[in-house]
Amino acid sequence: MREVYILGGAQTDFERNWKKEGKNTVAILKEAMDDGLSSAGVTYEELTALNEQNRVACFVGNFIAEKYTEQGHLGALLTEVHPAFYGVPSARYEAACASGSAAIDAAQTKIKSGDYDVCIVVGWELMKTVDSRTGGDFLGRAALYEKEAKNIDFPFPKLFGRLADETLRKYAVLDEDRYMNALAAISTMNYANAKRNPLAQTRKWFMSLEQAQTRGTETNPLVGGRLAASDCSQVTDGAAVVVLCSEVYLKEKGIQAKPILRGYGHRVAPMLFEKKMAENADSPYILPWTRRAVLDAYGRAGLTVADIDVFEAHDCFTSSEYAALSAFGLADPGREYEAVESGLISFAGEKPVNPSGGLIGCGHPVGATGVRMLLDLYKQVTGNAGNYQVKDARHGMMLNIGGTATTNYAFVVSRA
Amino acid sequence: MQEIRTVTVIGVTGTMGANVAGIFASFGNCRVYCVGRDLEKVKRTLPRIVKSVRADAIAKNLSPADFASLEACVAESDLVFESAAEEMPLKQAIARRVAAALQPEAFSCTGTSGLSIHTLAECYPEEARRRFFGVHLFNPPYSMPLCELTATAWSDAQALEALKEYLEKRLYRTVVQVKDSPAFLANRIGFQFINEALQYAERYRDHGGIDYLDAILGSFTGRAMAPLVTSDFVGLDVHSAIVHNLYENTHDYARESFVLPSFVEKLIAEKKLGRKTGSGLYQRVTYESGLKRQLVYDINGGIYRDVIPYAFPFAEKMRRSIQEGNYRQAFACLVTNHSQEANICRRFLLNYIVYSLHAAGEVGYSLQAADDVMAAGFNWCPPLAMLQALRAVTDVSTLMRESLPEVCAQIDVDALLAETEPSRYDYRPYFRSGRHA
Repeated sequence: MREVYILGGAQTDFERNWKKEGKNTVAILKEAMDDGLSSAGVTYEELTALNEQNRVACFVGNFIAEKYTEQGHLGALLTEVHPAFYGVPSARYEAACASGSAAIDAAQTKIKSGDYDVCIVVGWELMKTVDSRTGGDFLGRAALYEKEAKNIDFPFPKLFGRLADETLRKYAVLDEDRYMNALAAISTMNYANAKRNPLAQTRKWFMSLEQAQTRGTETNPLVGGRLAASDCSQVTDGAAVVVLCSEVYLKEKGIQAKPILRGYGHRVAPMLFEKKMAENADSPYILPWTRRAVLDAYGRAGLTVADIDVFEAHDCFTSSEYAALSAFGLADPGREYEAVESGLISFAGEKPVNPSGGLIGCGHPVGATGVRMLLDLYKQVTGNAGNYQVKDARHGMMLNIGGTATTNYAFVVSRA
Repeated sequence: MQEIRTVTVIGVTGTMGANVAGIFASFGNCRVYCVGRDLEKVKRTLPRIVKSVRADAIAKNLSPADFASLEACVAESDLVFESAAEEMPLKQAIARRVAAALQPEAFSCTGTSGLSIHTLAECYPEEARRRFFGVHLFNPPYSMPLCELTATAWSDAQALEALKEYLEKRLYRTVVQVKDSPAFLANRIGFQFINEALQYAERYRDHGGIDYLDAILGSFTGRAMAPLVTSDFVGLDVHSAIVHNLYENTHDYARESFVLPSFVEKLIAEKKLGRKTGSGLYQRVTYESGLKRQLVYDINGGIYRDVIPYAFPFAEKMRRSIQEGNYRQAFACLVTNHSQEANICRRFLLNYIVYSLHAAGEVGYSLQAADDVMAAGFNWCPPLAMLQALRAVTDVSTLMRESLPEVCAQIDVDALLAETEPSRYDYRPYFRSGRHA
């Protein structure tokens, strides 16, 4: 099997509000693509030359631009970014909040198969085009809309609030206060990490453990069952680009030492939250398919959790990062709080999770998130993560989920 | 890192005082004595402080107090922050009271936006003087992280470093060290631009005046808010105090641009101070039906009229280009269009670069300081980033000689430009189309 390398990439500043700037979908794609290609050392002239030989393709991750921006046909939209994309094979991949990973998966497959030597992955979402209630309803389409979201205000916080309830129900020994404090600590860690990331949406915001623990106040209202605003990821405008390539391309260009996309896992759980929970009865894991996706990725990479130096988890809510900790193997299922309380997953800990700030701190432009995670692992293993660099990170793992952990994607990235 | 556990903020019922208290109580997790003249008013301010940092959890850190207990608060504090009205005798009187009660290891800071730090330092005995600094924050500090830090000849170098580190690492401020110079750096650059725009509004009053200039220097020129809207937002009284101070106490090529136009004097005399009084350069009218109407002061007629929806071809083209992310195309249009409006716009943006670099040389300690203060204090495209944007499409020094001959006669712009380094800022986010994307 051919190896897949990561050449480079870039993300937009997730603090930006593109509606306020008065800029459209083409504008955000232009900026992300210009920066991403420049980081990868690929010019538009080279792109044209590669395309003459049918050696390059584009993979667009986006969840639901049809709703947020009235725009579909997103693979073809890249031709508006630059004429160099005329004729380049390009299509959009959708798997709710894991759309970015679906695009990465398609791209790596085309390199492994030998069809293309350079695969450009771009994930994006513009979410600040509508008010939060309307946006919340759009996102409800990542669940089974008719049964789980239709006519419900903010369906996803409620669903992940139920995940919190189910976690407490499944693990009878788990103390409620201990669990809720662990969730508050997860939120606080993500906000604190975001302060080191110059492209994080919340880098100027204030959060403290006490504020995250004080749920149900004016500044931290309850939004889904026992979860409050501090337990939620953000509504974000953003795009991320990662350029993958083959060994042939690296050799041709005389490029050495690029990180390898070493393993992946992709598992789909029952879509309906209720069925998902019913199915986990025989498993020690609350999200058994999430765990399987992670195990598949470790297996394909030939690594275990002991080898991984840095993690990017899908903290769309604190309750999902909590479940991710056992899925990664950083804690036993039901005892995830230990990894939080011991400091294991903090930035200074042995196994840092979300040094970028994650979806809570860095932001969550849904279609971009998987690509942003891969980009962060690339930065970490190449020593280019600046103030949020995890010291001597050699191997990184990311988990990107869609819906209520329905689509589960995990990737392992290793230093060359 | 310096431990600051207890802070006294004096003048907490003012906008800045309240916001500063919020920053110390949240990021600093300090106990904050909130001191004001009227205890009841201070108590009513506390919810506003909590709101300013969006965190109910900090409420427990706030203790209301009045001036009767000032000494008691100061005696317990590791840092005292004075945010009283901008009157020297008042600030001096407060400083003397603070000095008498201050702990030997405590910091004392003034939040003045323009008065002499040196003169205020003289109110302190020798030891305390070493730990007295100017700490100028911008409004609202939660989203504007700029902090202009000023030392004096008496300042203790270690204390300065410790305070700087605390402001940066604990309070997450963008700290720029500046000299004890009128209005410091950000306001000197910003109000040079804004006041000159006011002068041009008067000069071009037959073209519409205020809204004409704002249409020429709108968000597509690298700022969130048009300059005269900004002045209205800040308040014409505050604007007047800043430019008066700069006119009296600076002596560079741009001095005349700090003269306040007479129509603004008239508005101030009529208590039309801007947004805070309902009318100023602009006037916002809300009808019973809920309909809102934005009016503008017509300098010729002395009345408020509807804002004119100007559509200058150069501006329309720039905005369309920015909307699609074609920045180069937008700047190319700016440098090649020769309409009166494009000429004015170009002149302002080029002089903004020149004056920023000039002022940074005088007031700051590096040219990058100009970028930091304008990005973090005004949310304007920083001057070095603006320079980079224009350099992508033209030879800037030639353009300056064509567009700013009178400035180039007084300032060696080539020497100034030769000293510049690439900006650390990305210019793209600052240029807005002002259109519904």
